[in-house]
Amino acid sequence: MKVAAEFLLFAERALVAQLTRFPPMDVLVRQTYQAGVGSIALLTMLIVFAGLNLSVQSYATFERFGGQDFLGMFAGIGGVRELYPVMAAVVCGARIGADLAAALANMKISEQVEALEVMSVDPMRRLVAPRLWAVSLALPLLCGYADVIGIGASYVGAVYQLGLDGGTFMSQLREYVGLSDLLVGVFKGLVFGWIVALIACFHGYRAAKKDGAEGVGVATNRAIVHGAVVCIVLNLAMSWVLYG
Amino acid sequence: MRRLLESIEGIGAIAAFFGDVVRTALTRPRYVAETVRIMWILVGRCIIPVGLAVAPVGAVISLQGLEIFRMFGLERMLSSLLGTAIFREYSPALASVMVAAQAGSSIAARIGTMRVRGQIDALAVMSVDPMRFVVVPGVIACAIVTPLLNVLTNILGVASGWVFAVPLGGVDHGAFVEHLTAQITPADLWVGLGKCVLFGTSVGLLAGHLGMRVKGGAEAVGKAANDTVTQTIVLILLVDYVVSMALLGLGL
Repeated sequence: MKVAAEFLLFAERALVAQLTRFPPMDVLVRQTYQAGVGSIALLTMLIVFAGLNLSVQSYATFERFGGQDFLGMFAGIGGVRELYPVMAAVVCGARIGADLAAALANMKISEQVEALEVMSVDPMRRLVAPRLWAVSLALPLLCGYADVIGIGASYVGAVYQLGLDGGTFMSQLREYVGLSDLLVGVFKGLVFGWIVALIACFHGYRAAKKDGAEGVGVATNRAIVHGAVVCIVLNLAMSWVLYG
Repeated sequence: MRRLLESIEGIGAIAAFFGDVVRTALTRPRYVAETVRIMWILVGRCIIPVGLAVAPVGAVISLQGLEIFRMFGLERMLSSLLGTAIFREYSPALASVMVAAQAGSSIAARIGTMRVRGQIDALAVMSVDPMRFVVVPGVIACAIVTPLLNVLTNILGVASGWVFAVPLGGVDHGAFVEHLTAQITPADLWVGLGKCVLFGTSVGLLAGHLGMRVKGGAEAVGKAANDTVTQTIVLILLVDYVVSMALLGLGL
């Protein structure tokens, strides 16, 4: 309960710091590059397998009703709207969030944050706000990228592995998956990115000097787990509002 | 080229480690009490995150599945899609991912910390094999706890799917239950549990491997914990895909 209240206070301060001043361009670019480009190799590998797997699994399920021809629709709707954005958020969020939490917790236990305060530099503006901007920029881009890679992978799985007709797959996809679905995926990425960065910064910021090196470990672990759970729950909430 | 060689070397090291773990696990002495203690800790730490992560997935499948099935007027059939998707795929995969995030990283951090503090070497000096006392109990605990949690998440996933299908989606309760019981075979359940044993073992193995390899200080420990999470997730998805292909080939 106390932690939740602390988190809300932290969120408010962070949001104010984020919105009052746009971070310097070079800091923003560096942070975004670290968060985004660092995750691309991992994300590509994951989404290729997830896309192939989505085709194979839904083929196995739909075969029971003889609905294999609707694979394109299912892989498109299930993947673009739900699976790929959530996977991008959980996996890249785990990587990015762990990095952020570890970096901030390290600064905290070596009293660099206090040093900033002494120099009357607001750590919220200096440390937290650029990271929030950077991850909220990087994760939507990663989600869009995941959507494209994932559809490609499930096409390859459906056509070259399961021997379905490529034209049927594409026409199903065109008919049932529109630009709006892609935009929803990117929008979800924006929300996930912001919340993952906020949770990671919060846990990093809570580490105190007395926790020592173990505090860093605890902060990263919590950042990963809480970030993943919150993304999955928020995904349900957003899907419910948008499609329910 | 160098990175390729390094990754091949890494795979070889994991294979050798796996062989070591299996050999140690099959011979005496066994530290059963230590294994049970770790299992309890893992259950306590994982049960809430795993439950919270899997429950919304059942709801999302109902939400989107209902929209798709409505196009054909087949809402009654929703529960068979929900059941197979939860039992075979999403519950095992997601439960294992969360076990990797929560338990795997803490096991890697624990072993890494012991390594940094020289406790692993101290065990060896006391002629307690660290593989036997530290690594193997972790692997076995993960391999047992993951399927146990999977039973819980199966129930949670189907229950949250039911909430979104029956009271909120307007599907008939009788039809939901009927299609669920008619379409779900014991094979679906066993496939899911088998996957969980496989995934859980790989979580424990990677955590042990990366933890034992830690050299240096606190930063290396943190890196081992993070690497455990990302690498196990990749491994889980890869294994999941191979298993799905194999099952499709076998017609299960």
